[in-house]
Amino acid sequence: MSASAPVAEMAPLELLEGSTAIARAAILSNCRFFAGYPMSPFTGLLENMAKLMPAAGGVCINAESEIEGVNMVIGAASTGARAATGSCGQGIALMQEAVAEAALNETPLVIFNMARNQQDYFQCTRGGGWGDYRTLTLAPKDVPEAVEHTQLLFHLADKYRAPVILYGDPLIAQTRVGVRLAAPDLEPLPAKDWALDGTMGGTGKSRQVWTWAMGKVTDPGLGPDGHWRAVADKFEMIAAAEQRWESAYEQEAETLVIAFGSAAKFTEYVVDQLRAEGHSVGWFRPITLWPFPGAALAEATRSSRRVLVYELNAGQMLDDVRQFVHDRDTVRFIGGVSIHESGLSYGPLLDAPVLRDRILAAMAQPTER
Amino acid sequence: MLDSTSEHELLILGIGGQGIQLIGKTLAQAATASGRHAMLAAEYGGEMRGGPSQATVVIGERPLRSLPILASAGSAIVMHDRFCGAVPERLRPGGLLVVNTSIVDPAAAGESYRVGGLPATDIARELGKPQTAGFIMLGAFNALTGLVTHEQLVEAMRSLLPPYRIEHADSNAAALLAGSDAARELELSAAVAA
Repeated sequence: MSASAPVAEMAPLELLEGSTAIARAAILSNCRFFAGYPMSPFTGLLENMAKLMPAAGGVCINAESEIEGVNMVIGAASTGARAATGSCGQGIALMQEAVAEAALNETPLVIFNMARNQQDYFQCTRGGGWGDYRTLTLAPKDVPEAVEHTQLLFHLADKYRAPVILYGDPLIAQTRVGVRLAAPDLEPLPAKDWALDGTMGGTGKSRQVWTWAMGKVTDPGLGPDGHWRAVADKFEMIAAAEQRWESAYEQEAETLVIAFGSAAKFTEYVVDQLRAEGHSVGWFRPITLWPFPGAALAEATRSSRRVLVYELNAGQMLDDVRQFVHDRDTVRFIGGVSIHESGLSYGPLLDAPVLRDRILAAMAQPTER
Repeated sequence: MLDSTSEHELLILGIGGQGIQLIGKTLAQAATASGRHAMLAAEYGGEMRGGPSQATVVIGERPLRSLPILASAGSAIVMHDRFCGAVPERLRPGGLLVVNTSIVDPAAAGESYRVGGLPATDIARELGKPQTAGFIMLGAFNALTGLVTHEQLVEAMRSLLPPYRIEHADSNAAALLAGSDAARELELSAAVAA
């Protein structure tokens, strides 16, 4: 199952830095409000938005903090505009209260986590706010896919009235690649009859976007109990409907390597190399980090003798893999914390020769099955 | 000179201030404008004049499979050897190595590569534009590989210049041409089979 939002094939190839490609994809998706605070490697996206948004008739604001930025975005999105913010994980940590509020008061917004590495998996998939909510998260493996995911995320945010996340990284933000950009061709969505557009003011029927849903005398609303149950049901429905993944050779391989984002692109590359040399190895890649494609992983690992988890952190997706894998005893962690000396990007563990050595070393170990 | 499935991977190494990033961007832009798929990977870290500078460019006929951190490369341009030595670590044996002999001793490259050297920094000084040494190397590399036409390279260079640098367009074009001319005189050393 692929996450692709169809793109017109005939759009010209343009050499674009990931940050530029994502900004243009967002604007082509009718994003018209963007607010954020600079933080590497997110800064390039904010700069591109500042440069491109006015000509599109939109507004980009360099907020004085991440907290201010995300709350501006909630305000803009409440009026029905497509709106987005972003940072890296360190800045998105500051936004967690607002993300929870947006999830619980059902405000659609897109958050670009141009992360420094893969240490924000828990942040994206578990969140740090309060209440029963989740954030749908797409993790592209490269720039062309980040363009597709950006367009899909604006659609899904509106479809489900929920905050959603793009999990990028320095390679996606800063690599220049030939991409084709076109307006997305996605199913039409109903009008935003909930938006606070000012048209109902003074009629006694004014609308509310309110986390606690306590309503007013003329329209009591669901109240927190009814509203939060409804929101929880919605996230359960999203969990079932929006799992995305891809895999290769999983039915025939003794060893299956699990990775997400850029690490998955490296995994695909190394696995192809190893298979060409005759090794029995395949790969599985969650495209949505939440909802995690658990049933698909269980099926893909049914005949695996080794399940290797490669992520650039201390073992975060590892929790989800252990939860859904066919046999927990087959799981081995071959990732780890690896940070560039600047602190702003990946360290040496994200590298094809290193990954190759780790896979081969794990394959040399006896299996449990 | 690419078949439909292969990808040409190039490492460009030198020191900050030699135009490493700009020549990488110029080649990638020229390839994209010619309808090919290209990738220019950023070397992350504290870029500074005199510090290590590296760019990697990949060009192919189809959407690329190469990684933004290259596992290995088929060719390299070495502008300065302070940080990488004469031979970049990830250049495959038998690969094409074009070195700036004003600074780098081509004999240090050993016998495992097809080596071509030109004194790019000296040629640039003779042209009166010492800062164009990178474009001289790019012009020579492109003449040796035929990845894009000379005209496409010049057009890409012009398209990337911001308005406040447009006065450098003609001297950059002259440097690309001087590199291309110098490449005609070059005899590549044959790689000894490893």
